[in-house]
Formats: sequence, structure tokens, C-alpha cells
Amino acid sequence: MPYESFLIAGLLLPFVGGCVAALLPTNARNAEAWLAGTVALIILALLASAYPRIVDGGVIRFTVEWIPDLGLDLSLRMDGFAWMFSTLITGIGFLVVLYARYYMSPSDPAPRFFSFLLAFMGAMLGIVLSGNLIQLVFFWELTSLFSFLLIGYWHQNAQARDGARIALIITSAGGLCLFAGVLIVGHIVGSYDLDRVLASGEAIRAHRLYVPGLVLVLLGALTKSAQFPFHFWLPQAMAAPTPVSAYLHSATMVKAGVFLLIRLWPAMGGTQEWLWLVGSAGLITFILGAFFAVFQQDLKGLLAYSTISHLGLITLLTGLDTPLGQVAAIFHIMNHATFKASLFMAAGIIDHECGTRDIRRLSGLWRSMPITASLAMVAAAAMAGVPLLNGFLSKEMFFAETIEVHDNSIVDQALPYAVTLASMFTVAYSLRFIRDVFFGPASTELPRTPHEPPFLMRLPAELLVVACLIIGIVPAMTIGPILHAAVRAVLGSTLPKYSLAVWHGFTPELLMSIVAMAGGVAVYFALRPYLLSGIEGPPVLRHINGRRIFERVLVTVSWRFARWLENILGTKRLQTQLQLLAVFALMAGLLPLPVRWAVTDYGSASGFDPVFALLWAVGVSCALGAAYQAKFHRVAALMLLGGAGLVTCISFIWLSAPDLALTQLVVETVTTVLLLLGLRWLPRRIEKISPTERSAGTIRWRRSLDFVIAACAGVGLATLAYVTMVRPAPDSISRFFVENAYTQGGGANIVNVILVDFRGFDTLGEITVLGVVALTVYALLRRFRPAPESIPIPEQQQAQNVYDDRHPDRQKGDTLKDAMATPALMMALLFPVIGVTALFFLLRGHDLPGGGFVAGITMAVAFIVQYMARGTIWVEAHLRVLPVRWMGVGLLMAGGTGIAAWLFSRPFLTSYFSYVETPVIGSIPLASALLFDISVFSLVVGATVLMLIALAHQSMRSHRTPQAREARTREAAPMKPAK
Amino acid sequence: MTAAFPFPAIVPAVPELMLAIGGVILLMVGAFRGDRVAPVINGLAIALLILVAITVLYLPPGTLTTFGGSFVVDDFARFLKVVALLSSAVAIAMSTDYFAAVNHEPFEYPVLIILSTLGMLMLVSANDLIALYLGLELMSLALYVLAAFHRVSARSSEAGLKYFVLGALSSGMYLYGASLVYGFTGTVSFDGIAHATLQTSGIGLIFGLVFIFAGFCFKISAVPFHMWTPDVYEGAPTPVTAFFSAAPKVAGMGMVMRGAIDAFPNVVDQWQQILVFVAIASMALGSFAAIGQRNFKRLMAYSAIAHMGFALVGLAAGTEEGVRGVLVYITIYVTMTLGAFAAITAMRRDGRIVEDVADLAGLARTSPAMAFWLAMLMFSLAGIPPLAGFFAKFYVFLAAIKAGLYTLAVIGVLTSVVGAYYYLAVVKVMYFDEPAKPLEKMAYELKIVLTVAAALNILFFLYPGPLLESAALAAKSLFE
Repeated sequence: MPYESFLIAGLLLPFVGGCVAALLPTNARNAEAWLAGTVALIILALLASAYPRIVDGGVIRFTVEWIPDLGLDLSLRMDGFAWMFSTLITGIGFLVVLYARYYMSPSDPAPRFFSFLLAFMGAMLGIVLSGNLIQLVFFWELTSLFSFLLIGYWHQNAQARDGARIALIITSAGGLCLFAGVLIVGHIVGSYDLDRVLASGEAIRAHRLYVPGLVLVLLGALTKSAQFPFHFWLPQAMAAPTPVSAYLHSATMVKAGVFLLIRLWPAMGGTQEWLWLVGSAGLITFILGAFFAVFQQDLKGLLAYSTISHLGLITLLTGLDTPLGQVAAIFHIMNHATFKASLFMAAGIIDHECGTRDIRRLSGLWRSMPITASLAMVAAAAMAGVPLLNGFLSKEMFFAETIEVHDNSIVDQALPYAVTLASMFTVAYSLRFIRDVFFGPASTELPRTPHEPPFLMRLPAELLVVACLIIGIVPAMTIGPILHAAVRAVLGSTLPKYSLAVWHGFTPELLMSIVAMAGGVAVYFALRPYLLSGIEGPPVLRHINGRRIFERVLVTVSWRFARWLENILGTKRLQTQLQLLAVFALMAGLLPLPVRWAVTDYGSASGFDPVFALLWAVGVSCALGAAYQAKFHRVAALMLLGGAGLVTCISFIWLSAPDLALTQLVVETVTTVLLLLGLRWLPRRIEKISPTERSAGTIRWRRSLDFVIAACAGVGLATLAYVTMVRPAPDSISRFFVENAYTQGGGANIVNVILVDFRGFDTLGEITVLGVVALTVYALLRRFRPAPESIPIPEQQQAQNVYDDRHPDRQKGDTLKDAMATPALMMALLFPVIGVTALFFLLRGHDLPGGGFVAGITMAVAFIVQYMARGTIWVEAHLRVLPVRWMGVGLLMAGGTGIAAWLFSRPFLTSYFSYVETPVIGSIPLASALLFDISVFSLVVGATVLMLIALAHQSMRSHRTPQAREARTREAAPMKPAK
Repeated sequence: MTAAFPFPAIVPAVPELMLAIGGVILLMVGAFRGDRVAPVINGLAIALLILVAITVLYLPPGTLTTFGGSFVVDDFARFLKVVALLSSAVAIAMSTDYFAAVNHEPFEYPVLIILSTLGMLMLVSANDLIALYLGLELMSLALYVLAAFHRVSARSSEAGLKYFVLGALSSGMYLYGASLVYGFTGTVSFDGIAHATLQTSGIGLIFGLVFIFAGFCFKISAVPFHMWTPDVYEGAPTPVTAFFSAAPKVAGMGMVMRGAIDAFPNVVDQWQQILVFVAIASMALGSFAAIGQRNFKRLMAYSAIAHMGFALVGLAAGTEEGVRGVLVYITIYVTMTLGAFAAITAMRRDGRIVEDVADLAGLARTSPAMAFWLAMLMFSLAGIPPLAGFFAKFYVFLAAIKAGLYTLAVIGVLTSVVGAYYYLAVVKVMYFDEPAKPLEKMAYELKIVLTVAAALNILFFLYPGPLLESAALAAKSLFE
């Protein structure tokens, strides 16, 4: 039981420690180190206590519900493989903490470093202990994040920032791919639980989504483990403090990729795709990494490329797709972690004590720091694969594995030679590390005088090197059981035969080792002249810089491409936006057509009537003309629009809807007049079409395009309207109205009955809105300031005034008065006629076309005509129009009619009707709805006239304003000298 | 007319009534007392919104319908209403400092937000095409005014005008589609349409569907009807933009979901095609176009477009799980965007408002707390685990994969990687660029919004239960 809680405690402890570390004061280096070290040691102790169970092949599990409805549990699972990795993470973590205590300078903010380091440790433990894949991805991304933060620790350094950024982009993008891959795997298996995934290898490999899933998972793993072609982030990450490089970028985080590969091998491996994808990535990385490493002038750069190369080796082993390959891979993970971490520490010590890590400047350090030099040499020898060191053992296994036949292709046959070649480079760079740094003449001109570091700073490296030696000499006794447990956890019960002996006799792999050694020495001495020339990077290939290519691609693909895209697609111009919107709507409308072109319910065109067609031809031409003239001649466009409106009216009559036609007619009239009045105050048209110089051709083309779009949209709408119209109307409430209008509402004009009776409540709302609109128009126009160029009186009037001025017998404005004399008289006479018509419409509205609304607008026309004929001043001097009062009366009356129904204990707005015999007119229907209709009438008159007045008063105000301004300036002028 | 007309039950609509009456009362107070009572009205408006949110939670349980079935209150509506109300309240709280800084403290601002929110509540409860339109217009009309709220600024007026013109056009499209659907099914009620489409789905209906969705897409700023978004985001005063980015998106998404699931459940394959296209186009355009932006608000506009695309991925799945994903997504998105806008609203230097990403240079050194919270929000927007934004994406992609929409999910993941670029670019500017002159101190209410939003995003993964469960309930009620 306690083991289970150990797991969660071990996972949480680093995070808790990280939070505590963040809270300590900036200079608390010792406290931080103590804290972090203790955390690592406690976890190590927990791991040690779990060892007995693990070594027997036991698995410790811990599960709590996390997001239950998704089937996601927080599930921890420790088997031998995870145990081995956890021990590496915490063990090396402890040593790194100890090392960092002495490495970091007192001026570096310690809390940030140690809290990130601890948090990273927790995230890494999370990866290896995760019992489900989603959780694994979660911790995976966390490690990317902390790696970013740790690489960028010295954020004042531009290199660190760039390195951090590149590492984050590459690894987190890879993490997202991994996530997608995991989702696919989970989809295939039906669960994200690791045990179930591992158990369903057959199903995964047989599934049609296997290849995409595999590619995505591999993208995640290969980016994290810095495999070709994603390897270039790792050398950039060397800008991090050396403890970070030792810990994250050699021992643990970069191993997460190969960890995942090995972990998922039973489920996803064993196919040609795996062999080729993983194997070739590993092989290329192994060779290229080793080759590049030889040519590095920066100590850490050399180690970085060497790490890439060794990770390639491990990947290649995994990719060889055999159980034995996995064994060798696991073994090499451990070995590489020990010797590479100690090498990084040594490099850090050199950097720390000499002030530089440039190989060109370092030389003969053997004399000044003998112990460090010995440590580094042993570790480098392990890296090169010298016998009696741990590197030798796993390398032998590796060679043995490459000799085996896999798929017997040319690549497979060439494999032993290729890896021997790469191993030569490995030996060469190890030799270079030893010889160039520690031997030769003692270097002068170092920024600091080199000397041995403090004992405790050297201790971690010492411990690791001792481990290299012990494992190298007595492997079976020391690492044997751990490796066995780890291998068993990965491969299950069927273990391949492997032997952990130092001496296997004279085997081909031994020969390969010897060739590699000898060849490596030869390569080193052959390349020495080139290396001494001080050029960074290998010949020719150094010009191919992965990082530069990446950045260029990033810049192009990302913002260059984006800007380009935005220039093409984006626009800030309303015109273009509208155009696009219309085009998209049109396309959306056309979209269903090819999908199903069903001409089933189009109905039959009931006879073609030439007159009606001609009528519509007129209407369409009016509409087209209006569209065409809209830019050039607003008044003409408005007139043509009126023409189209009239055609609509006639169409209504044609389709036997006289009431609708009547309403349409009066509304059309009033709106046209009001629009005309409004047009007077719009700013003058800008003659030039575009402020920028454009050729006439472009303009014509654009305008024709607009025209075509408009025409298409119009035709589309008309077609759809037609199609809808000729269909049998759905059975709706209209039948109810037809049947009950007379019996219940007492009117034959159904529309009117609906308005004032059935839907009286709606009408009440509508007239209220109309009133509000009118008031708003009035309020807005009261503050309206016309454009300066539209303030002077119109051109015609100016010309007339000039004429009047020239003739002494005429007064200003006479011509206008004369010209308007006859129309004005006629219009004045029309006033009562129109009034009576309005009354007529109002009274008959209940049964015949008409009604309060129509009557109201007709009455408003009477007022409008007066304003037009005589001008605002004359009309208002002779006629008291109180539109607001009209509106108020209308609203109150409408409400009153409604409430009156309550008196007869009926619901609001219930109507009553009967017929009344009157002497002259005859029998008129007298429904209470008539009262309501009258109130509608009153309101409509008021609202329309109010809008008219608001417009009309513009002419008075704007003529006055310049004069008033003149008067004001004249008054102000004499004041000036006084000031 | 003699037949007695039963007065509709008003209990389900009590929150809306409270909001309407409250809004009008506040308007009257403002109209008679003038702008100097603006702070009081702000406070009262926030209180009102929160009160209404509580009322929504205490409505009788279960699915309630009224007004002849055109207004429905189910768990889905409750969920979205509460989110919309709270984000509106936060948007009001975020405005005070800004308007004080530009010396223009109008009392109309909270009132307009209340009226717009009223429209949203009606929108998510709308159960027929007409009620939906009513809510839509009520919401939009207030939004048009809000976009042009900073009258003296030409950009703001331009934004309002553009939004109005394009919005009117899109409303027209919606109405046109609605009338076609009515013409071919003979009903406007969602249940009726669903019933009518059981037997036939003629081409006319598809036309109607397409136009209705075109209108929808405009309101949630999805490609290809997104053009207004960057202009309006940039032109409108920042608190208004913050409001735009949160509550209307919630309501808009609710509208699309109810419309798609309740009215057209029998033509899923038809609207699925539309949504898949719209989602892909929005994700791609939003992600790519944002990269080139220098103005932070414009960047957030493209980010909003992309996020709407991500959310639509869930709806495109057409399943209960997908709807739940969208609900979770939109809720998390609201916290992210409000938090980010709290920071943007606070961007002021020497009394002038600055809006460029470059103005954040070196913020990590001049005001580390603000930089940290904003960075967390950027990470969350980018969808980096373990932040909430990651889970938001996770659920919608999961739903899409379960529904077999692999292409959509893969494109979604790819575009979110692209999207990560510009969010990280913001972080980079804050952390790695040389500091410019420090920004002015953040007002405390903005600080609270930023901190709370970021903290919610950071800690979401520890206790995701409440949100996930209530979203699941809401999604379930939509499918009943």
C-alpha cells in the first residue's frame, strides 16, 4: 500500500518544492540548494524503497479520478523501465543541484533557477510515471515549457533568448503532433490507458490510421530527442547555464523522445514503417551528429552535437525493431546519461574556472586542474567506447545489433560500415576533447587563471565517473538487475538473450570497435590542420545552417506569408467588404444548386402574360437604372427607384391585393418625397472617383463588376421569390383570418381587421415605435450640421436671384414666386381634397382598401404638398401644425380604446362592432376598432409630419447660420482692440 | 375578437424582464441626472447583471417554455445566460478606468450593455426563427451604438458605421433564409421545422439553411463573414472591444448551436458541410492573418476569428459531446479574452492610450506581475497545456475525432500551432525586448480581472469538474 502513495508523493514533491523555492529570497543560494537537494534525495529514497518490488517485475499503480466523464484518470504507473528512468532523473537531478550551487554566480537570482529546475524534475517524473497517454502529453509539454524557461534563464543574453525560443517552438510543436498522434492511438484502442494501449499492438498496427498516428507520434519523439532534421535546436539550447545543459539537454529531457519510442515499441513497432522511419532518422542523426561534433570549437557545442549523435544511436537501436535492439537502447540511455552529464559538468567547471570554453583558446589544462582533467578523460573515453568503461558495453551491443540482418536491403547491408564510420568520428571528437583541452602547451591569455574547483563542485562529476567505471568493469553485478527489470517492463516475459560481460571473445563487433578506435585516431590527426585553422563547423556543410534555414522558413511561412495573405484578402474598405459579403452570400446561395438540382416543386407557370411581363421589364430597367445612376445622379436614381416601387404597386394589384397596393403607393410617395428633401442636405458628390490615380479602365472594370454582382444577386433573389411564391402556401394562420375576419372582427378588409383587431396589440406596439422613430429623427436632425457646401441656396435659385438683382423693378425671389404661383395655388386647393380622401380611406378601411395607416399617410401628403408649394415660413405662419400633439392624441386614444374593453370586463383591446344607419352616407360599420383606427391615423399623421418639419427646418436654420455667424463676428470685431 | 387569449406564463422570462425594467430605470436615472451619476449607474448595472444571473440559477428546474413555445429555458440556456451575464458585468467593470482616462464617462454605456445583454438572453432562449431574430437585433442594435461609442474619434465612428452596414446586410440574409425556411416548412418554430424536415428537405430549405447560417456566421465573426471584426475591434474603445469579444460571442455561439441542433437535426449532413468549411476557413485565416498584426486589438480580433473556428469544430461534430466541447470552449475563451483585454485596456503611457504589441516591450521588467499574468493568458490562448485553453481545444478536437472528422481535427491542430506563434510573439516582446518607458499603473479593477482570469486559466486543470459537468448537463438538455 505505501508504495502507491509514494508515487503520488514523489510526483508532487518537486512541484511543491518548486513553489517553495520560488518564495525564498533572491540570494538564498544555500537554502535553495538544500531544499532542492533534499527533495531529490527524498524521492531517491522512496525509489530505493520501492526497488524490491520493481526488481521482481512488479508494477506499482496509483489512480485517482481526474476527469471521469472523459475516462481520464490521474494514473501513475511504475514498472522497471519507469523506475530506472526515475532514478536517473532524481539521481542526476541531485548531483546537478549540488553542482549548480557552486556553478551559479551569487548575482544570479537563485529562486527562479531552482524552482524551475525542481518543477522540471516533477514534469519529467510525470512523463515517465504516466499511466495514460494524455497525461503523458501534458507533462511532455510541461517539460518543453520549463526547458524554455531554463534555457532563457539568462534572458539578458540575446543568444539565450533565441535558443529558448527555437527550442520551445520545435519541441512544443512536436508535442502538439504527439498529442494528435496520441488521440489517434486512443481512438484506435478506445482508451488512453497505457496498459491497454501496450496490449493492443495488433489492433493498432492493423488499423488504417496506423501510419498517420505513427508519423505524428514520431514527430513528437524525434523533435524532443533532437533527431535529424529537428536537431538544430539542441546546439542553440547550449546558451543555458551548464547545469541545465547537463541535466535537461543530455541526461533527461532529450531522452524523453527515446523513452517514448521504447515505451510504445511493443504497441507500434514491428513494421516496415517503424524500421524505416525511426531507423533512418536515427542513422542519419548518428552520423551527422558525430561528424559535426568533430568540428565544433565550443566545448559545449561539441558535447551538444555528440549528444545528438548518441541520441541518434539510441533511436537507431530502437528503429532496428528487434527486442535486443531495445535492450541495447535502454542500456545506452543509462550509460550516456552518466558519462555525458559528467562531461557537461567538466565543461562547466572549465568554463567556470577559465572564463572561456572555446577549444581554440584552451590548452594544457592538465597541469592546472589534474583531477578535473582525469575525470573528463575517463568520461570522454567512455563516450568513445573504450573498454572497461560503460560506453564500451552498450556500444558492443549496438555493433552486434547492426550486424544482424533486418530486412536485407542495401541500407541494411551497409549499416555495419556506416556505423563504424560514425564511430570513428565519435572517437575523433572524444580524442579532440581530451587532447586539445588538457594537453599541449599551457594556455596563456585565459580570462581567469585556471585552478581546481571546490571539492563539492567536483564531487557530482566524480560520482558519475565512478559509476562509469564500476558499470564498465562489473556490469552484471551492478547494473544487471536494474537493466533486467527495465527490459522486462518493456518487452514482457519473452526476453531476448543478452549478456553483460566485458569480454565476449573475438567477435565481429570487437573488430568494429578496434577499427573505429584506430580510424578515429587517424581521422583526428588527419583533420587537425583544418581544426587548427579555427574555422567553426565542418567544411562545406557548415554553410547549411539548420537554424538559419528554420528561421528563414519561419519568417517566410509565418509573417511574410501572413502579410501577403492579408494584403490579398484583408481590406479595411467598407466598399470591398460589402462586395465580398455580397459575393459570399451569392456563392452560398449557389452552393446547394449543384448538390441537388431538384426541379420538382417549381409548380407550373400559369400562363405567360405579355402585359405583366412588360410591366416587370419596366420595373427591372428602373432598378438597373437606379443602380447605375446611384453614383452619378442621386435624384435620377431616386426617381428610378420610385418607378420600381410603382411597378411593385401595380404587381400587387395584378395579384389581387389592392389594400397592399394602396399602402405601398402612399408609403412610396411619402418616402420618395422625404428622401428628396433629405438629399438636399447631403454633401456634394466627389467628382473624382478615387483619391488615388486610377486608370479609367480599372474604374470601368470595377464598376461593371459591381453591376454584375448586383444583377446576379437580384436575379437570384427574384428566382427564389418566384419559386417560393408558386409553391402551395403552407397551411398557416392566414386561413383563420380569412374565415373569421368578418364574423369576429366585423370587417371585410382582412388586412385592416388583422391590424386593428386580431393583432391590435402588435399594432399598438408598432405605432408606438413609429412615434419613437419620428421623435428620434427630429432629435437627430435638430443637431444636424449640413456639409458646408450644401448650405448655400441651390444653384437655380442663385441664378434667379442674380436675374432679379439685375432688374431694378424686381425684388429678390420674385422669379421663384412667379414660377411657383400656379402650382402653389393648385396645391393649396388640393389640401381639402386630399384631406377628404384621407377621411374616406379612414372610414371605409374596415371593409374596403384603406384604413388608418393609409389615411394617415395620405393626410401627411397633404401637409407635405403645402410645404413644397409655399415654403416652410409661409405654411407655418398660416397653419398651426402640432405633430407632437397629433402623435400624443393618437397614442392615448389607442391605449384608451384598449382599456375601454376592460370596462366591459373583456381583455385589453377587445373590439365591438355594429352597423349604424346614417342619413347621407348610408350604413356604416361602427366597430370600436374604428376608434383604434383613428388613433393610428392620428399618430401616423403626426409622425410623418414631424419628420417633414425636421427636414424642412433645415433650410431655415442653415440659411440663418452663416448670417448669424457674420453678425457675431461683426460684434466681436470692435472688442478686439480693447483686449 | 371574443376568444380569450391566455396570458403567457412569465416566470421563465423573469430574468429578461428584470433586465429590461432595470435597464430602462437606469436609463431614466441617467437621463435626468446626467453623466455625473455614471459611476453609480455602473455599479448598479453590475449589481443588476449579477442579480439576474443569480435569478437565472434559481428558476424552477427543468425545461420551461412560454410565449407559445417560442421562448425556452433549459439548462443550455441557463448555462449560456449566466456566462453572458457575468462577462457583461465584467465588461462594465473594466470600462470605468478607461472612460475616466479619456474624460468621457457616459452613463449610456452600462445601459447599452444591459440592453444588449437582454438581447443575448433572448437569443439563447429563442425557440423559433422570429424570437431568434428579435434577440439578435436587440443585441446587435446596442452593439452598433457601442462600436461607435467614442463619437469624437473618427475610427470609432467608422467602426460603428461599418459594423452597422454589414450587420444590417447580414441580418437581411438571415431574414431571407428564415423566410425561405418558413416558406418551405410552413412554420417558424424550431420543433416544427425539425418535424417538417423529417419527410422532405427540398432545395428551398437548403437555400434557407445556407442563408440563415450566413447570418449566424456574421454574428460570431466566422470566415467568410468576418471582415468587420478587425476594424471594429481596432476602432471601438477598448472596453467596448472587450465586451464585443466576450458576451456577444457566447450568445452567438448559443444561437448557432440551438439553431443547428434544435431546428435542423434532420439535415445534419447539410449544415455539417457548411460548418466544416467555415471552421477550417476561420481557423486558417485567423491564425495566419494575426501574425502580421502590430496592433494588439487587431491581433485579438484575428485571434477571435480563429477561436470561433476552433469552437465550431466541436459543433461541426453535431454530437452532444461536441456541444459540450463548444460550451466549455466558449466559457474558457471568455475568461481568456476578458483577461487579455483587461491588460490591453490598461495600456497607457503618459496619459495616452497605446495599443501596439510593441508598446509592451520589456513589460516583464517594468511591471512583472502584469507581464506574467498576460503571458499565462497568451499561453492559454495558444492552447499550451496545462492551461485551460488547452483543455478547451482538447474537448472540441476530441469530439470531432469521435465524429470521424479527422481532417478537421488535424487542420485544427496545425492552425493552433500557427496560432501559437503570435501569442508567443507577445510573450517574447514582454519578456525579451528592451523595455520601453513603463506603462501607467493598472487600475485595481483591471488588475483583479486580469489576475482572476489568468488564475482561472492556470488552475483550471486542478478542478475542471464544475465547468465540465454543468456544460455536460447543458449539452444534454439541448438534445432532449
